[in-house]
Amino acid sequence: MVKIFIERENKNVNTKAKDIEELIKKLNIIKEEIIVVKNNELTPRNEKLKDSDEVKFLSVISGG
Amino acid sequence: MCKNCELKPVVFLTNNTKGLCKSCFFRYFERKFNKTISQFKLIEPNEKIGVAVSGGKDSLTLLYLLNKLKDKRRFTIEALLIDEGIKGYRDKTIEDAKKFCKDLDVKMTIVSYKDEFGYPLDEMLKKLKMKPCSICGVFRRYLLNKYSRKLGFDKIATGHNLDDEVQSLLMNQFRSNPEVSARLGPITGIKDEKKFVRRIKPLYLLLEKEVATYTFLRKFEIKFCECPNNTEAYRIHVRTFINNFESKFPGTKHSIINSYLEIMPMLKEKYKNVEEIKYCKKCEEPSSKDICQACEIRSKL
Repeated sequence: MVKIFIERENKNVNTKAKDIEELIKKLNIIKEEIIVVKNNELTPRNEKLKDSDEVKFLSVISGG
Repeated sequence: MCKNCELKPVVFLTNNTKGLCKSCFFRYFERKFNKTISQFKLIEPNEKIGVAVSGGKDSLTLLYLLNKLKDKRRFTIEALLIDEGIKGYRDKTIEDAKKFCKDLDVKMTIVSYKDEFGYPLDEMLKKLKMKPCSICGVFRRYLLNKYSRKLGFDKIATGHNLDDEVQSLLMNQFRSNPEVSARLGPITGIKDEKKFVRRIKPLYLLLEKEVATYTFLRKFEIKFCECPNNTEAYRIHVRTFINNFESKFPGTKHSIINSYLEIMPMLKEKYKNVEEIKYCKKCEEPSSKDICQACEIRSKL
């Protein structure tokens, strides 16, 4: 299971996925509105995932 | 591999199958920023540039990059922060802005709604039957212009990025407001009108996502937070729409901006004399009516 944190919703999720792209689809996240951080490093969307990875979807939207 | 070197990519740009590593991304981002300033002649030598900061990622990236560029291009900068008085939001971002300015050794002036209008926004919302963004839009613009002039700024730089501009253009299109779009662009305001301080947008050609990537990679200590009053804004619907569209058809946002830049001179020409500039009879600030919108709202408080 991959540990996921969705910053905008302040929510933690655990799920399985082979790569970041699949994870984005699975969680129904708009990819233009996030940057992806895997194990504290910025990660391109085609990056493969393995169990024990920690993924954060950081919101690019701020301000008002 | 990175498009330009042998390192591991950390980011993929729109319509690029190859990514960029951290250093190449910094180079790409900063070149685009500098090129925007040159291309649209946003800053002239010896100018004093005010930087409108909120404490969010866009304005602090703007401040960081202008500070980096100021000696080479021979201009000076000062920060100006408008404190609307939004508990749990602005009070947090103010602290980030203060720390950032201190680290960069940039002077910052804070102007609050409470001091200027008697109440923080949170209190105004209890008194007025108006949408928060309608009040804020008027008061923020009013104070930015008034204090930019008081502080002797030649221009005021804002953190508007490509996404902000695309959203504004679409909103105006959807609401059939071409004359409002005519007032957009990388540099706005009237050149020879002394009471108006011209506004510049050096992040004009950079995506919101690119700005967020830059702040993350530069390790700026900024909280990613959204204004709690933003939930009802029409802009959010437009933003979600265009972000979904961009996900399916990458490059759409750039196309919108490029098309706008093509027609912008014609739009500005067409609407240049639509509104005569007057001065508010109460506060003497520039206005399109006898009494400015800020004084109209203030009278209802």
